[in-house]
Amino acid sequence: MKSLTRVNQVNNKPMARKNSIASVFLLASLAFNVSAQNSGQTNTGESPLFRGEQLLMTGSYAAATDIFQMADGLDRNEGLVGASKAFAMMGNYQEAMSVVESAIEMDEYARFPLLSTQLAEVKRAVGESKEALVVLESVVAGLAEPPVRTLVQYGSLLDFVGQKQIAFSILDQAVQRYNNGLVFASEDVAMVALASWLMGNFHDANSLFNEATRANPNNLEAHSLWADLFLEKYNASDAERSYQEALDINGRYVPALVGMANVVGDERALQRALAVNPNSVPAMETYGQLLMLNGREEEAQEYFERVLALNPESLKTLSVLASSAALEERIAEYEGYLAQVESFSPNNPVFLGNVADSFGNNYLFDQAVEFARAAIAADSQYWQGYTLLGSNLIRLGEEEEGKRNLEIGYENDPFNVMTSNMLKVFDTLETYRTQESEHFKVHMSENDADILWPYLEPLLEESWDTLTAKYGYEPEGPILIEVFEKSEDFAVRSVGLPDIGPLVGICFGKVITLISPDTLSANWQEIVWHEFMHVITLQMTGNRMPRWLSEGISVYEEREGRPYWGRSQGLDLVRAAEQDKLLHVADLNSGFSGAQNSADLGFAYFQSYLVVDFIADEYGFEKLVELVDQYALIKDEEERFDEVFDQSLGQFDTAFRNWIDRRVAEINVYVHTEDVPDEGDGHGHGVRENSSAILAELYNNASLKQHMRARIEENDRDFQAYLQLGIVLFKEESFFEAKQYLNQAYELLPSYTGYPSPPLVLSQIYEQEGNRDAQLQQLELLLENLQHDYASAIILAEAALEENNFERAGYYIDRAIQVDPYRSDVHQLKANYAETIGDSQLAVTEYEVLLKLEINDPAEAQTNLAEAYLNNGQALQAKENILRALETAPSYQRAQRILLQSIDGDSD
Amino acid sequence: MKIMNRLVKTFAAGMAVVLAGAASAQGGANSGENDFFLDRAESTKYAVILAGPTVGDENQSKFRQWAFSLHDILARDYGYNSDTISLLYDRGEVEGAGNQRIDAACDLEGIQAELNRLQSVVKTGDQITIYLIGHGSGTEEESKFNIVGPDITGLQFAGMLDVFDQQDMVIVNTTSASYGFSAPLSSEGRVVVSSTRSSSEKFDPVFSNYFIEALDNRNGDRDKNNRVSILEAFNYAKSSVEEFYEEQGRLSSEHAGLDDNGDSLFSLNPTTAEIDGRLAEIAYIDNLVDDTAGLSAEGLLLKSRMQDLERSVFILRGRKVEFLEEDYWQQMEELLVDLARATGQFNEVVNPGESSEQ
Repeated sequence: MKSLTRVNQVNNKPMARKNSIASVFLLASLAFNVSAQNSGQTNTGESPLFRGEQLLMTGSYAAATDIFQMADGLDRNEGLVGASKAFAMMGNYQEAMSVVESAIEMDEYARFPLLSTQLAEVKRAVGESKEALVVLESVVAGLAEPPVRTLVQYGSLLDFVGQKQIAFSILDQAVQRYNNGLVFASEDVAMVALASWLMGNFHDANSLFNEATRANPNNLEAHSLWADLFLEKYNASDAERSYQEALDINGRYVPALVGMANVVGDERALQRALAVNPNSVPAMETYGQLLMLNGREEEAQEYFERVLALNPESLKTLSVLASSAALEERIAEYEGYLAQVESFSPNNPVFLGNVADSFGNNYLFDQAVEFARAAIAADSQYWQGYTLLGSNLIRLGEEEEGKRNLEIGYENDPFNVMTSNMLKVFDTLETYRTQESEHFKVHMSENDADILWPYLEPLLEESWDTLTAKYGYEPEGPILIEVFEKSEDFAVRSVGLPDIGPLVGICFGKVITLISPDTLSANWQEIVWHEFMHVITLQMTGNRMPRWLSEGISVYEEREGRPYWGRSQGLDLVRAAEQDKLLHVADLNSGFSGAQNSADLGFAYFQSYLVVDFIADEYGFEKLVELVDQYALIKDEEERFDEVFDQSLGQFDTAFRNWIDRRVAEINVYVHTEDVPDEGDGHGHGVRENSSAILAELYNNASLKQHMRARIEENDRDFQAYLQLGIVLFKEESFFEAKQYLNQAYELLPSYTGYPSPPLVLSQIYEQEGNRDAQLQQLELLLENLQHDYASAIILAEAALEENNFERAGYYIDRAIQVDPYRSDVHQLKANYAETIGDSQLAVTEYEVLLKLEINDPAEAQTNLAEAYLNNGQALQAKENILRALETAPSYQRAQRILLQSIDGDSD
Repeated sequence: MKIMNRLVKTFAAGMAVVLAGAASAQGGANSGENDFFLDRAESTKYAVILAGPTVGDENQSKFRQWAFSLHDILARDYGYNSDTISLLYDRGEVEGAGNQRIDAACDLEGIQAELNRLQSVVKTGDQITIYLIGHGSGTEEESKFNIVGPDITGLQFAGMLDVFDQQDMVIVNTTSASYGFSAPLSSEGRVVVSSTRSSSEKFDPVFSNYFIEALDNRNGDRDKNNRVSILEAFNYAKSSVEEFYEEQGRLSSEHAGLDDNGDSLFSLNPTTAEIDGRLAEIAYIDNLVDDTAGLSAEGLLLKSRMQDLERSVFILRGRKVEFLEEDYWQQMEELLVDLARATGQFNEVVNPGESSEQ
């Protein structure tokens, strides 16, 4: 499958044309440009039209309006169009209209096609589509050969107002004119590109935009429209490049600034756009959407109101407002917006598609599916509708129907990157195996099915039993889980695009997507538990949970699941409290949507968890469940808190702050401003590295020691200073002193979960001293708080097995498997453990896994498995496996003995 | 722990035919291979380790460890001695311990002298295995093995080896860019292993490390006959290299290949069922040891029965594709059960009352 990408070759032209004639005219056109440019450099008497165009191109819009209006004679009309464009670029739409309208005599639009077309474009921009239509219709009807721009603008407007059939015939006229070799100017080629795009000929559009920008690299409109096309197809990188090319020429080109903001979420680009054009509808719409994403609805609303005042036909804004109304079940309001759209653009599929998308983005997939179906019903050639329908069906677990719709979308719009990506994941899934347990259906690779499933299955069912009982709610099942080996597949399946940031698992209510633990260095069991908790809270509320509460509860339940799971970010909490960085409870969602980096996102999870912990601690767990139930109802946030806690959101937040203050006082450590927060992958699910401590090894020891001693002198509860000093002393092999500082660090903050931690360094000291008991003791302390350490768990498990402490051995073996179930040493250890305690079934499981993991000695692995089967009374399986071992190694006597025993057992 | 040998010195004349047949069966009944690697007890196996010079402490230490480990493992576990193993190392000496292992410098003169010496001692049917450790460079026929002084090309080296046309030869080239150097060494009846598959794989491979690991403690012995063939060592090293890069989360910069049919085309996945692999499977690194001396007539009979059954297993395995799955396993089971019982009886005869467990 190909994505819509740039074409660079001249021979990629989409349609046949008279090359030789075109070349002549193109050369003439280029010659004109060169001549004009040359005259601009050498002739001080350059024309106002030329100067105006230069000023317009470089973003000097105010000056351009003046200069353009100085054009006279044959240049007059073009000058007025230029002035109108410059006025429009600054948001002065009235002037933009009047400057051209005043020159159109007697409303005879056909006599002034360029002026009229410009007038119509501005009218459309301010929501006067009917008037614009009259103007364009008049030009097209009145001229045998209307300008290409007029045809395309007319066709586009007809399409917008729902007259698709006529629109296509008009647009086709522009395309045919190009095919007949009569379109040469870059600006007109870009218009033909737009016509092709509107008619669904995306490949042609791509080639034509390429041609237009090559013909005139300064054609800002072509660059920006081309970028818009890329953006529509979710090809962000090419979109960004095209917008940037426009901005390199004119950093004040508003359409490119807004486009760039859409691609990279750059708020500054929007601010620049609004500084240039305070009335830019696209800029305000984008700003409004960004604010909504950050939970700043009131500010967003102001922007949307301004947009509608400027352009009551703004489809995007009306879609956003309608979506918001529909999401909150304000039906009459939604219908009002719908009627408003119907009045100027009947049966508009994009409006319905946008609403579907909003529902999907808010995890309300059932409703998203309904709206996507309605969009397709409105226009069966609205291909994005099929993508929306397909992707949302998938999130409901309706894979077959979802795939069918994606295929329709792809067949007709193969350049939509999201569609093709999602279909590619189906190709991956076809190679996957499906495993089922009582409440779950899991798609996973063959490798994961063999190795992970034996441990995943009991964990899933345990999570179901524990959490459904605790919350008194049984979700609708079976829950579909998809475990992807490639993070790109995980990302595409989750959001349609291959980059999803640091996330490792996503829950959609009935569907969970996960990254395979094979690609993680984190505790996969905690992640599974966390995601399943989302299933419960999402389904309890009809997927109406706010993200902060859903994440907060999932993190809270991590710790409830296993005492060493969850997050103890004491240092981060103290730091956030000191720096007053804790968000108001009402703003917790913005911690997620506005996170600038992994640390921000990790803290958003942590603070959300703290609020949940606060509720359970202060008001009782049942109040937490009551709060969740509140989100099943559509009501004001204040009302929910009032209902559950009998207090306002502000009062609740104050109580939370007081509780935090007490927590901070209990932690009672000092956080120095020079230390940076620990950072880790997987938004808190992975190891969190203490970069200050790691960097400590790079510093000059003497000066660092001196500095850390001074810090301790300054504040004797400076945890990091003790830790770093201990590390440096350990490095110097001053073990006695190192132990003192590390022990003090541990006593200050025993729950510290970063890496390296005091127990880790202490364990290494004791190892070097040959004090195995003390080493093991420290590793034990380490694993009380750090859940991602495989090696320590193995050491402790081996030690426990040596001591015949089987309960302890089993515990630490399990801890190692939680981190990495793909290493053979842990399974060999568990197999030995199983044999020692006489658990033949467990031994079989482990040898089955070991056979999958073995690469160098399959005969031995098969022999071990056969023996385990034999010991477990499975003579037939034993025989099957031992025959395979002996096929490779016929003279292997241990295997021969097992073969004879299995035959005896088989005959029994 | 006794090793079951398939050859009885006293029966050499008669059994050689059987063994050749067995080898052929393992190799898929390819009659063309019968003259090579017959693995006779009376033949001698020679090993030549060429470890070229290097720069940088890390590489120097790595190559030295590989060369010396290989030397020690061959001497310790595979029946080689100072007469049958030669180490040509860098400039011919090292700091500290280890000098006694080194026979000469790894330069053109040293290599030629060693090959001349070998030529003077080898007999028809002897086996020579040459291990190349160090750096390689260049592309295609210009590929070189870096030695002290002027480097040597594959074509040059192939010319120097031409004199050994009556001996079985194995060349294990573990250097970077080894492919271009190894291709000209290909010849009928010769097993050539290259740690890289193309001249573009120029980084120092880790293949050597795992090839030596395969020999150490006979880790590579997949068929549990207590011997390591070149094919087994190759497969062990290849899968270990893959695992190494996977664990590192890196794309593999080396892909080893093996050629044993003389076509200069290296197979990445040689097996007995493929074009390459049949000869490598019967090219054993160790010297055959006769362990049948003193057996009773019953013992010799049982031993012969075991060898027949083992040979039948090899033949059946080689014809697996010709059978229905069920029929194949039924016949295989019968053979394997018979073999297991015969082995048990043999053990009872040889060591009455002792456990037959290996």
